[in-house]
Amino acid sequence: MRCCHNGDGKKEGPGSPRVVITGWPNVGKSVLFNQLTGRYVTVSNYPGTTVEVSRGHALIEDRAFEVIDTPGLYTLLPVSEEERVARRILLYEKPSLVVHVAEARNFEKMLPLTIQLIESSLPTLLVLNMMDEAQKAGVRLDLGHLEKNLGVPVVGTVGTKGRGVGFLKKRIAENAL
Amino acid sequence: MRFDSALGSAEGLLKGEYGAPRRFIASLLIQEDPEITDLVRRQEPGNLAEIEKIIRELKNHSEGPVEYQQAIRRRGQAARIAAGAVLPNRVDENFGHRFDFILMNPLSGGLVLALILYFGIYQFVGVLGAGVAVDFLEDTVFGKILNPRMVGFFAKTVPWAPLRDLFTGEYGVLTLGLRYAVSLILPIVTFFFLVFSVIEDTGYLPRLAMLLDRIFKRIGLSGRAVIPMVLGFGCATMATLVTRTLPTRRERLIATLLLSLAVPCSAQLGVILAILAGRPKAMMVWAGVVGFVFLAVGSLAARILPGQKPSFYMELPPLRLPQLGNVLIKTYSRVRWYFLEVLPLFLLVSVLIWAGQLTGLFDRVIGALRAPVAWIGLPSEAAKVFLFGFFRRDYGAAGLYDLEKAGALDGRQLVVACVALTLFLPCVAQFLINIKERGWKTGIAISLFILCFAFGTAVLVNAGLTGLGVSL
Repeated sequence: MRCCHNGDGKKEGPGSPRVVITGWPNVGKSVLFNQLTGRYVTVSNYPGTTVEVSRGHALIEDRAFEVIDTPGLYTLLPVSEEERVARRILLYEKPSLVVHVAEARNFEKMLPLTIQLIESSLPTLLVLNMMDEAQKAGVRLDLGHLEKNLGVPVVGTVGTKGRGVGFLKKRIAENAL
Repeated sequence: MRFDSALGSAEGLLKGEYGAPRRFIASLLIQEDPEITDLVRRQEPGNLAEIEKIIRELKNHSEGPVEYQQAIRRRGQAARIAAGAVLPNRVDENFGHRFDFILMNPLSGGLVLALILYFGIYQFVGVLGAGVAVDFLEDTVFGKILNPRMVGFFAKTVPWAPLRDLFTGEYGVLTLGLRYAVSLILPIVTFFFLVFSVIEDTGYLPRLAMLLDRIFKRIGLSGRAVIPMVLGFGCATMATLVTRTLPTRRERLIATLLLSLAVPCSAQLGVILAILAGRPKAMMVWAGVVGFVFLAVGSLAARILPGQKPSFYMELPPLRLPQLGNVLIKTYSRVRWYFLEVLPLFLLVSVLIWAGQLTGLFDRVIGALRAPVAWIGLPSEAAKVFLFGFFRRDYGAAGLYDLEKAGALDGRQLVVACVALTLFLPCVAQFLINIKERGWKTGIAISLFILCFAFGTAVLVNAGLTGLGVSL
């Protein structure tokens, strides 16, 4: 079931399928990026700007992915240069999967961005990161309920401790176009 | 729903290839995003005209901007979905809201800010850091233990006097460069970033941004610029990099100018607080002048520079008790950044001064600086301080600290010197970052303006204080 999509003559693009990590500033995007990509990472200024973008590779279930870590993004209608760069990546780099990282404890505030991504027909996966902090604050989450209501996969992680990253990889491989 | 049907028709009208889903393009188009509108205009101007009709109709049927209404709709949707997904043990929300009100209300918020400035900056950084800790390192560690030993060691082992001076002379790499960096700058910067990291970790800064938003609007900025500005009190170079978070070029330019001109960095601020600590009136004059310059130059720049007034809205993260681990890591990484930038430069300056002294260039430059220094009413020894200050403001301030300890300056002269050094360009690094971030034309223009402006202000302050016969 997970192999037979390339048969209909649709060639893979010049590179591997792209996973774009996006979300508000300070939600642990870069930590998850590092967890996914490991060592070989390039950091460069986005063309024409002073904003830095990290790109790396990940091998998940024998498939190679390009992973991009974008600057912080609050909404798809940007105000800052960093946000504009993040949106440009979403717009023009043809993501096979957009991984929206949100903070588990404050996910309600960040959910509008998830909704925006879904409404834009982008293939989206929601990560609720820092699940441990949410637990500490006494917030318990029903991820199944979220998945059902959003209609996209939802994964809980603790990026700093690597918890849930294995499962996240599996869901990325399942859901990337 | 009207938006949905408008979106559907707009998506259907789009025929171009954008690489992104057409629905994505259509939704940004309907919310009148300028970048996307341009993009579509270039590809299919005819279809855009059709879509613009839809947008106009949508706007006629709705109250307020579409973008804003959609944001509210999404928030409502998010709240509904979240409500079903959260099984919370209720935290006391009212408490948090009441606290936010206290912090962001102009009256009580201003009071809280004043308390934080007094205890956090003045008492903790100024009195404890720049006073007690610096005194201990200066007098005991360097004065009694390290310097005599280093001087003794070099006196015994190095027979050639100029080489001895390079390391342990009046401007020696060890006795001056290393001493300034370790015994003056390091403790002050550490104390400051400790306070800053604690404040940052509590979530106070976004509330401060809301509180100061109205004042910042007057100077062409918004609350968004509060964080880089506050960080500028730690290190203006670091803060100039952070101005990237500001939305428009105009705001970035104003912020860079003000950071370079009127925001003293922590090392300099600490030294100045220590110098003026015994003279409350002098400190008030200094703070008044610098504060006035900040607001006056800011509002002038806001009037002169073309461009729209910024708008501002910021999400408030919940307040929390600072976490020790976070605070320590943040403080460590910032102090490290700062110290590694300062130390080589301080050592280099010591070498340059040494070379200048050997060749006689140093004395000639000092001689040339005597006249302008005299215009602002300072004795010729102060020329040295300004030469130091050219390389780094905090290095100059450290030199001023030595002069004050030697009792060479009176209250008025101290105020004038502190004002001039605060307003001068912070350091070579700041100059380079300004050029890197704002382009070389703007970078150099800012530097020239600051040089003239700082000097002019010092002349005025000196003339004013002398004319009024104020003793400080």
